[in-house]
Amino acid sequence: MNRRQFLGTAAFGILAAPALSRRAAAQEGPFRVKYYPVTAGMGSRDTTPAPDGTIWFCGQRNGTLGRLDPRDGSYKLTDLGKGAAPHGVIIGPDGAPWVTEGGQNAIARVDPGDHKVTLFRLPEKEAYANLNTAVFDKNGIYWFTGQSGIYGRLDPKSGDMTVFKSPRGRGTYGMTITPKGDIWYASLAGNHIAKIDTATGNATVVEPPTPNQGARRVWSDSKGRIWVSEWNSGNVSVHDPADGSWKAWKLPGSNPRTYAVYVDDKDKVWVTDFGANAIVRFDPVTEKFNAFPSDKSGANVRQLDGRPGETWGGESGNDRLVMIQTVSPA
Amino acid sequence: MRSFAVLLLLSPLLPTSATAEENGVRAFTPCRACHSLDPAERTLPGPNLSGLIGRAVGGAAEFDYSPVLRKARDEGLRWDTKRLETFLADPAAMFPGLWMSMRGIEDAAERQALVRYLTDPSAR
Repeated sequence: MNRRQFLGTAAFGILAAPALSRRAAAQEGPFRVKYYPVTAGMGSRDTTPAPDGTIWFCGQRNGTLGRLDPRDGSYKLTDLGKGAAPHGVIIGPDGAPWVTEGGQNAIARVDPGDHKVTLFRLPEKEAYANLNTAVFDKNGIYWFTGQSGIYGRLDPKSGDMTVFKSPRGRGTYGMTITPKGDIWYASLAGNHIAKIDTATGNATVVEPPTPNQGARRVWSDSKGRIWVSEWNSGNVSVHDPADGSWKAWKLPGSNPRTYAVYVDDKDKVWVTDFGANAIVRFDPVTEKFNAFPSDKSGANVRQLDGRPGETWGGESGNDRLVMIQTVSPA
Repeated sequence: MRSFAVLLLLSPLLPTSATAEENGVRAFTPCRACHSLDPAERTLPGPNLSGLIGRAVGGAAEFDYSPVLRKARDEGLRWDTKRLETFLADPAAMFPGLWMSMRGIEDAAERQALVRYLTDPSAR
């Protein structure tokens, strides 16, 4: 990192009083909101915390993977290759970031030491998969989705890759793994969620009760319940595979658009609402919402992730990362 | 004999034409996750793209657009081939805060193939 970059990346924080409570909620927080500016025009989107305290993030518009040091706001960008357009990033069992790299139609691993990029390309017949989101299963197999209507598995050790057709075609989007190891995905265009049998690769569709809801992303809580961000309906919903039940809540505001969902270590649910330009916290116990509107318009936070005490997202429209501190540091 | 002469005259054109069509199909493939050119298909995550040229930006009546596209519509912007090609080069640069998320198409030939595919039904 050079001096210019460091000076250009000074983070700032504000104390945010949650707004837009749907009901007369007991005040939660206060939560400290911090913004971390990154390179203009990079389209900073999906993020994930690394074991060393840094935050990896995708630059979809400039084809890079970034690594932010939240202690001083400095960051380093790694070029993923010609035409790269990274969408999602997760940390593997090897401690490295693994990227659904749609521009090159490949899974990319970036070495956390020297930032060397290794590509695992999809088969030629699966060109333009529109790679989206991924998780690692308990055996270290990397499972991924492609919005063209595919999902797949990659064995990082052998490089073997298998691609499956999604049962209802295009739209395969967010993905999650439960504490038991079950893998689920959401289909945005297909308006459903589905569970993958990791032994056979077959997917079983589960229909949410709200028609044409636009299930975009999914995240499991500690009990294996699947939380769903519903883009079209503006709901956040939850499916309990144990009894087949569903519950849904409409986000506050006149025209909510639920994009991302993440469940923290306390089983509090975080979503993003493009209609309100906000990150929204939902407490499943009290059924109350707290909204954290961005201080800039058009934030477009497309994914959330976190670690105990911190929820992270990328403001893709503002080229900065956002962190909401949920507990006071010791 | 005359038809043979015609074939001879056309033959250099045929591969080019087929390639342009293939390029258009290929360029539109990633878009298919959210968009359709079938006028009847209007429940996808992105707006229907049939009859795009001449239409107001943010102008599909049934679709809930990003604020930046609603603003463009209110300002009277319309799609023409030039605007469309500039848009595809870097959508978020033309309309900052756009809800659609994609890297722009840097290759001019690929961009033009997509524009042709989107705007000219005979190219599909």
